[in-house]
Formats: sequence, C-alpha cells, structure tokens
Amino acid sequence: MTDAWLVGAGIRSALGDSVAATVEVLRRPPSAPRMLDVPLGAGVEVVPSLGMAGAVEEDPENRLYRLVEGAAREAIAEAELGPDELKTTALLLGTSSLDISMTEAAYARDLASGGEAYPLMSNSSMGEMGRVLAKRLGVGGMDLTINTACTASANALVYGDMLVRTRRASHALILGTELFNRTTALGFRSLDLLAPDGMRPFDKNRRGIVLGEACAAVVVGPERREGAFRLTGSANLCDTHGISAANPDGSTVAAVMREALGAAGVAPGDVAAVKSHGTASLLNDEAEAAGLRQVFGDGLPPLCALKPFIGHAFGACGLAELVMLLGAASAGFVPGTPGVGADPSDLGVSLTQGPTPVGRGDFLLNYFGFGGNNTALVMSNG
Amino acid sequence: MAERAIFIRAAGDYYAQADEALPELGPLVKQTLGAQVRRVGRFVQLALIGAARCVGQRQLPATTGVYLTSGRGDMEVTADVMEQLFRDGQAPRPLSFINTVSNSACFYIAKQFGLRGRSAFVCNRYFSFESALQLAMLDMEAGVSTSALVGSTDIVLAPLDVHRKRLRLAEGTPVAEGSHWLWLEAGDAADEGAKLTSVEVLADGAALETWIARHARGAGTALSVGQFGDATETAAIAARAGVTPTFDYRDGRAYYDSQSGAAVSAFLAQRPEGVTTLLHVNRDAEGRFAAFAVRF
Repeated sequence: MTDAWLVGAGIRSALGDSVAATVEVLRRPPSAPRMLDVPLGAGVEVVPSLGMAGAVEEDPENRLYRLVEGAAREAIAEAELGPDELKTTALLLGTSSLDISMTEAAYARDLASGGEAYPLMSNSSMGEMGRVLAKRLGVGGMDLTINTACTASANALVYGDMLVRTRRASHALILGTELFNRTTALGFRSLDLLAPDGMRPFDKNRRGIVLGEACAAVVVGPERREGAFRLTGSANLCDTHGISAANPDGSTVAAVMREALGAAGVAPGDVAAVKSHGTASLLNDEAEAAGLRQVFGDGLPPLCALKPFIGHAFGACGLAELVMLLGAASAGFVPGTPGVGADPSDLGVSLTQGPTPVGRGDFLLNYFGFGGNNTALVMSNG
Repeated sequence: MAERAIFIRAAGDYYAQADEALPELGPLVKQTLGAQVRRVGRFVQLALIGAARCVGQRQLPATTGVYLTSGRGDMEVTADVMEQLFRDGQAPRPLSFINTVSNSACFYIAKQFGLRGRSAFVCNRYFSFESALQLAMLDMEAGVSTSALVGSTDIVLAPLDVHRKRLRLAEGTPVAEGSHWLWLEAGDAADEGAKLTSVEVLADGAALETWIARHARGAGTALSVGQFGDATETAAIAARAGVTPTFDYRDGRAYYDSQSGAAVSAFLAQRPEGVTTLLHVNRDAEGRFAAFAVRF
C-alpha cells in the first residue's frame, strides 16, 4: 500500500473554464438560473438551467468530448503527467447519463430523416465512453465507468484512490461528467422537482433543483505536494427506504457520514467544514439535515451548499463540488450563499452566508443519489 | 491473526438464447423470489432472478455490498423513454425516468435481500464482469466489505435484427440474455472451499504470461478464454507460462456482452477431476488482458 494525493484538478461548469476561474466566482453570490426552452412534441417545456456558456444543444456530438477532455487536460497538466505516466494511469469515469446527449441527437436526426429510426443505435455500450476517453487522452491503464446516479463521480474517486494505493495503477485520472440532455431535463420536469427561482437548499422556501452541467477531473497519485488534499475516509451505503429519496429520519444519512469519519479517524467536532449534498428538495434536505443533527449535535461546523452555484450536475456533482470546495478551501474560504438557508427554520441547520474563512483540516462531503446510493468523503490537507 | 481469503460461497445464473418472442419473466420472478416484484422492467427482473438463484434460502449479512455490471444496461427502459420523448412527444413517466438510472437494479436487489452495504454499478467495454469482480475485491482487500454479491446482467431488446445492429453483430448472429451472480465472503485462508485469489487488468501479453505463471498450479490448472479473447494468442501465452489445459465455459453460447460472468459458476459445476485452479483470461481491443483466478 502507498499513500495517494490529489495532484491535479480541472473543471468546466457555468462558473468558468478552469479551477482558478471557478474559485474566484465562488467568492460572489450565485447567479440566477436562466430559463431554457426544451422541445417536446409540437411545443416546448421551460426548465431552469445553469448550463455552461453557449447553447447547450449546439453540436452535441462533439460538445461532450470537447468539454470533458478540457477538464481532463487541465488536471493532467497540473499533475505534470507525461505520456509515459499516462500509460500506467487508470481512468475512472463517473456519470449518470453517459453520452445520452449524443445518442439523443443521433436518434432525433434519424427520426427527422423519415426513415427507420430506433433509439440507442449510435452507441448502446455503457463502457464505450470510458474507452474512447482513455484512448483520446492517451491513458493506458484500465478504464472503469461508475454509474451510480448522483454519487457516481464521488464513488469513482474512491475506487481510483484504491487503485493507486494498492499500486494497481501509477495514477488515477478520475472524471465526472454530465451535460444537458432532454431525458434528464424532462424527467425532472415530470417529477415536478425543478425550481425556476433557483436552488435554495435547507431553506423554508426550497422548491427543488436547477439543471446543471459540469465536467470535472482530478488526478490521484503517490507524490505528496505541499498543501495537497487526500482522501482519508469514505463510505458508501445503500438506503432501501426509497428509490428516489433518503430516509427522512436521517438515520441512513447519519450512518454513511459516521462510517466515513470513522474510516478517516476524525471526530465530528474536528471537522473543518461540511459540503452538503443539498438538493433543495423537500424530502432529501429533511433527511440530510436530520442526519447532520444526529452526527454533529449542536456542534455543526460551517455547512455549505454548492449546487446554487452550478445547478445539480447529477453524476458529475461528486467531483465538480469536490473540486470547487477544495479549490476554495485552498484559497482560505468556504463558499457561501447569501439569503439561502440563512435561518435554521424547521430543519435546524443553516448554510454559510458568504465566503467563510477556513484553514487546513478535514472536510466532509456528502452525496446522495437515486437508487438509495449514499456516499460520504473525508478530504484532508491538515 | 489468521490470513484471510475471499471465498466464493455460492453462484447462480440465468441464461437463455433469444428468439423474437422473448419469454415473460414475471412468472419466473415470482417462482424464484416467492413473490412478484411490481413496476420493474426486464433488466431488473433478470438481475433479481440471477441474484436469487445465487442467494437461495440464505440470509446474507446486511452489510453485504452489491456490485452489478452490464454491457448495455437497461436498454428497455432507456429506449422506451427516448421513444416517448422524441417520437411521441411525451415527457418521461416519473418511475420510468428513475429506472433509467442504472443502479436502480442495485436498489431492488438490496431491498429484496435486506442489504445495506456498498452499492456499485460499474462497466467497461470489454471487461464488464471482470470490472465488477475487481471492485468487490478492492473493497474486500481493504476491509471495507466482508461480503459481496457480484453480478452481471444483459437483456435482449426485440426486434432481434435491430438488437444485433445495436450490438454491431452480423445478421443472424444468435443472441442471448444472461444474468450471472457470485456471493463472495471473506474467511480464514486455511478453510476449504473455492477462493477468488486474483483479479487484475494486465497491460500486455508479457504481463499476462507472468500472471499465469504466478497463479497456475501445474496439471491442476484449467484456463478459460473470455469472449473477446483470441484463443490462439492466449494459448500461446499460456504455453510459455507452462499451462496447456483449457476449460470451455462458453460451449456454443449465443452473444451477450457479459459472458465472463458464466465462467466461475460453470467451473464450480463442472470442475474436472484433479483440477484445482481456474484461470480466466479476456482481452480488449487495445491488447490489455483481464484475468482472474479461482482456486480450491
């Protein structure tokens, strides 16, 4: 076994095209979502979005790879991995919707042509996107695609870290990606979980999510660098209370946080800050708040929610929000959301209301996904 | 402290070559699980059937992790949602949308068997079953899990000629559905039983040769070649490592992506006299190999 450290990071989101640009924007309040027209039959459905700059459905067959490769190359450059190191590097892709934006576009084009048209003809292999990315990036180790909804890229980090620690790979390039697609947009519309006025986690006026987009990347390697973070503890547990929401009594959320903190050897009172999952949905925020109260009691450290900044990036949120939090923490602050979750209200927790100073230490990050997939990470730079 | 090993405690399978009229799985779900599971599609049904045949009447530890893989995932529900959206102009039905999430199947399995441990859905273009096995092994080696239910599931989506086009198969290629499951449990290495001793992805033939030499046990070794492997190439590499026997678990099987899942259960069921070790080798288009070893 060897130690493993985060030695490179990259991100593309509504906040910008680099980690540095993203951290600067995180010092300011979140922007309001824009309303996006999504074609449906003869009409349109309007959905709130915090997508990346430009039209989200423009050039879908190239956009995905262009954006995820951009984030990956930023991380690879910071990690200073050359072609030889990449040959022994593993690639782990965490995503919920894979390349569905591309298969949707191909199906729509086939339908428009008036001929025989079936879905999933351009690609139906769940491992193909990971294979293509590895080849395009020159990564020669194994590639694994983790597909566990909103915890996908957080779970990918856990396994990438293990591959490096057990020396099965020299480095691990972990990617989280989620781009706009109609299936996700209109699926959440059907669930009545979209919030036109923006995401307000843990707020008495919370109404749900805003669609987000992100491509994020980190490189994990054995080289220790000054101030670098490492994964010191993690847990992933299945909550069978419901397929689309955690147990509102908080017990399963508390269990995964306790297990991650236990694995890291960190007492709740020593946690520097917590990044909530914070979907701003009625039941999930209730469950997360209850779990936080059970683990931290009255000693809850600064609690932030990052989805108000970039929307809900689903399978990419694990890595995107990790890159955002660790980037901000390295710059000495935890982001805040003025006017959102300011009052403990009925949930008994409140969010940071502006950039909040923080030093080195242990940070807890929560992620919960459809299918009862609950993950907590402890990242440390102390 | 006694040395630990990963034991294969049980295996269970579903395999059926497909024709145009795919069999209804509801009755088999009810027969296998003892009750109907409502509002789930073919993919989840098939995953449940395979897993239930593996688990049998046992009560697995509640901390058991579920590790599921698939070459194509739940194509039925995804295609259905896309047809609704793009062809019919209708928004997805809520439960259909939720079930497009691949790990929904992990949820139904965990719920069915009372599990609350790890839950992972993992894939790789060529090494789907091997990748699930590797994640389980990583967790068990790290002490994160002591019990794991590892499986693969692939369905057929009619019509078959379209299915073959989706899978880039030649016209008329026989296709099948498969669901293969293993229950792994950590135990005392000195105990008797089938043990999973290695799961690795290897960079090239030289690395494979070294791996075979390390894990082979002379004449007591059987070697099986996965569906994407080249039998001639693998036999030549194995011969250099001193291994000649082969074990044909595929035996004329029709195509589905996760055939490797059948290798272990076939070995457990058909283990030739005197054979103590199975080495399974698969290959991807880049020339890497995935290999795992089972030993009695």
